[in-house]
Amino acid sequence: MVNFIDVIDRAATGPMMSQKDFDVKVFIPALRRALKKFDITYDRKEYVNTDDDLANRIFEAAVEFYSEVGTYITDTERVIQFTKSEILEAVEDVPKEAFFGEGPDRCIMKGRKPDDNELPHCHVGSGTNTSEENALRLVESYARISKAKTISIPIINTLGHIRTAAGAPSEVFAAIRAMQYGREGCRRAGRPGLGIIDHVSSASTGVSTIASSAPQFGARPSDGWLVAPFAELKTDYSSLNQTAYLTAWGANIGQEAGPLLGGYAGGPEGLAVVNTAYSLHGILVIRATYHLIYPIHMTHVCSSHPDVLWATSASTQAIARNMNVPYYTLLYAAAGAATKMYFDEALACLLMLIASGSGIEDVHPGKARQTDGCTPVDMEFTCQVGHACKGITRKDANKLLEKIIPKYVDQLTDAPLGEKVNECYDLDYFKPKPHFEKLYTEVIKEIKGEYNIDLVRFE
Amino acid sequence: MREGGCFMGKKEAFSKMFKAVQEGDADALVSAVNEVLNDTDPLELIQDGMMPGLKKVGEAFSAGEIFLPEMLMAAEAFQEGMKVIEPKLAQAGKQVKSAGKVVFGTVVSDIHELGKNIVITLMKTHGFDIIDLGANVSPTTFVQEAERANADVVALSALMTTTMTYQRDTINYLKERGLRDRYIVLVGGGPVDAEWAEQIGADGTSTSAVGAVEIAEKLIAQKGGTS
Repeated sequence: MVNFIDVIDRAATGPMMSQKDFDVKVFIPALRRALKKFDITYDRKEYVNTDDDLANRIFEAAVEFYSEVGTYITDTERVIQFTKSEILEAVEDVPKEAFFGEGPDRCIMKGRKPDDNELPHCHVGSGTNTSEENALRLVESYARISKAKTISIPIINTLGHIRTAAGAPSEVFAAIRAMQYGREGCRRAGRPGLGIIDHVSSASTGVSTIASSAPQFGARPSDGWLVAPFAELKTDYSSLNQTAYLTAWGANIGQEAGPLLGGYAGGPEGLAVVNTAYSLHGILVIRATYHLIYPIHMTHVCSSHPDVLWATSASTQAIARNMNVPYYTLLYAAAGAATKMYFDEALACLLMLIASGSGIEDVHPGKARQTDGCTPVDMEFTCQVGHACKGITRKDANKLLEKIIPKYVDQLTDAPLGEKVNECYDLDYFKPKPHFEKLYTEVIKEIKGEYNIDLVRFE
Repeated sequence: MREGGCFMGKKEAFSKMFKAVQEGDADALVSAVNEVLNDTDPLELIQDGMMPGLKKVGEAFSAGEIFLPEMLMAAEAFQEGMKVIEPKLAQAGKQVKSAGKVVFGTVVSDIHELGKNIVITLMKTHGFDIIDLGANVSPTTFVQEAERANADVVALSALMTTTMTYQRDTINYLKERGLRDRYIVLVGGGPVDAEWAEQIGADGTSTSAVGAVEIAEKLIAQKGGTS
C-alpha cells in the first residue's frame, strides 16, 4: 500500500485547484460518469439491495470514481490522487480485523458478508451532546450492557457555565474531561478494558484529540480513534495531523463519514458510490483500520428514509463483498427517544444493516439534535435485535421492511420529539421509568407478534 | 419581417436558454444568449431568458425532485450566461433587481461548507445576490463585508455545537459596533434550532434550505424591501 509519507507528500504536491472547482468540475462530473458507465440504478422495488452484481458494480464505480477524484486538502488546495492499481493494492493489503480493548473486554471487529450468519459487531453508546451531569452515569449504563462489544462516549459541550468552543482551550479541557468520564464509567461498570471507539467526540480539532490521548486521562491505542472528512471527500491538515500522530502511536484509526443524500452525492445511486468511495479514502488517506459510515437524508435529516436505507444497503454490500473490512454503521431516526415510532425506524435500519453485512450501532433518536436525547434502552434494543436477527437474509429483511416502513415513513417530516434521558430513564437504578418500560414491553410484544422476532432482554 | 424573424428567434433562443439552464449546460446557454444578445434588452435576457430555467430548478429542488448537483450546475451555467450579458447591462446602465443582498459564511473554526453551499445555491435560484465568504470566517470579517456590500442579510452557518458559539460572537460584535439593527441575521446548521437562534438574538433560522430562503424573503419584506 502507498506509504503514509507519500500520502502527505501528495497533499503538498498534488494538483492545485479551488474547492469550488473540485466540487463542480471534478467531483460531480466524475460521479455522473461512474454511475452511467457502471449502470448504477435504483428501481425503488426493494429497500434492501439483493443484487450481488449491482453491489460489485458499485464497488467498481467507487474505485474508478475515487481514482479520478481523490481527496481534497483545504490547507494546500491540492488533491491527493491515487491510481486504480494503488487503490486495489490497498484494498488487498488493508487489515480485515480490528482489535479493541484489553483483558477480558478485548474484542475483534471483523468484516461480515451479506446474509452472513456471523453475529454483527454490536457497538453502543452515543457520541452526541450530553449534559455534563449525565455523562458519567450514561457511560456506565452503556458499559453495563453485557452484549456490547465496544462503546461510544458522550460529547461534553459545556464546562460549568461555559460553552466550549472549537479550537479554544475550553475544547481541550472538555475533550480531556470526556475521556476521563469514559474510562471511569467503564471501570464503574466492571469493564475497565472495554474499547471506546469514537474518540474523541468532544474534540473537533487535532490539538484537542491529541491532548486528550495522553495515558493519564485513560486513553489507549486499543481504543478507536475517528478521523472525519468533510463533505465530500475533503480533509485538512488538522485531520492528517491526527492520522500522523495515531499512526506513530499504533492506535486503531477509524474512518468516519456522513455523506448527505441530496448533497454533492446527489440521489441514492450517487450516495451508494460515495459511501463506498469513503472506505477507499479511509484506508489510503486516513490509514483506517475500521470504518464508520452515517449517511443522512438532506431533507429529512435522518437515515430511516427508504432511499437512504437502499443506498446504505447497496454500499455496505459493495464494501462487504469486495473489501471485507471491519465496518459498522450509525443511522439516525427522525423520532425522538421513548416513542413507538423510534423503535419502528430503528428496527428497519438494524434489519437492513444486519442483512447487508454491516456491524451495528444504536440508531440515534430525534436526528441526534437534542442534548441528552439518547437512552440506554435504544442500545439494549440494538444488541437484542443483533442477536435475534443474525443470519437474516436480505430477502427476508425486505419482507419485514415492507411491513415496518409504512408505519413511519409518512411521519418523517413531523416526527415526535420524544423525551430526554432523564425523563424516561432512571440513571441511578439503570432502568427505564415505568411509562418507558411499559412502552418497551409493548414494542417487544409487537415485534414478536408481527414479525416473529424474539427479542431477549439480557441481564 | 425582421421584427417578426427576431421575435421568432428570441422565442426560440429563450426556450433554448430555459433548457440549457435546467440542464446545467453552460455552453448551450452561452450559445443561445449570443444568438440574440445584440437584438434584445439585456434585462429581458436575464429575467425572461435565463431566470425561468433557474427558478424551475429551484422549485424542483424544493420539491425533492432533483438534488444539489443539478442545482449547482444550473447556477454555474447561469453565471456563465451572466458573464456574457453583464457588459451589455453595464453599457445600458441597467441593473438586475435583486431579491436581497446576503453576506454568507461558515463561522470561524468551522470548515464545513456543504450546508451553506446548498442554501446559497437555492437562494441564487430565487434571485438573491450572494457574497460567499467561505468557511472559517471571523466575526470582524462578517461585519466588515456586510458593511462593504451594504447587505440586507448576514447569514451565519455552523455545523458543530462547538462552533455555534461563534454565531453568538458575531451577533454580539454587531451589537458592540451599534450595527445590529442594520442587518437581518440568520443562523443555521446541523445543531442550530429556534431556541438557540432566539437565545443569541438572531432574527431567524431554519432546518432546511427551502425554509431559509422563505425566512430571508419574509424578513426582507417585513423590513420594507432591500437596501
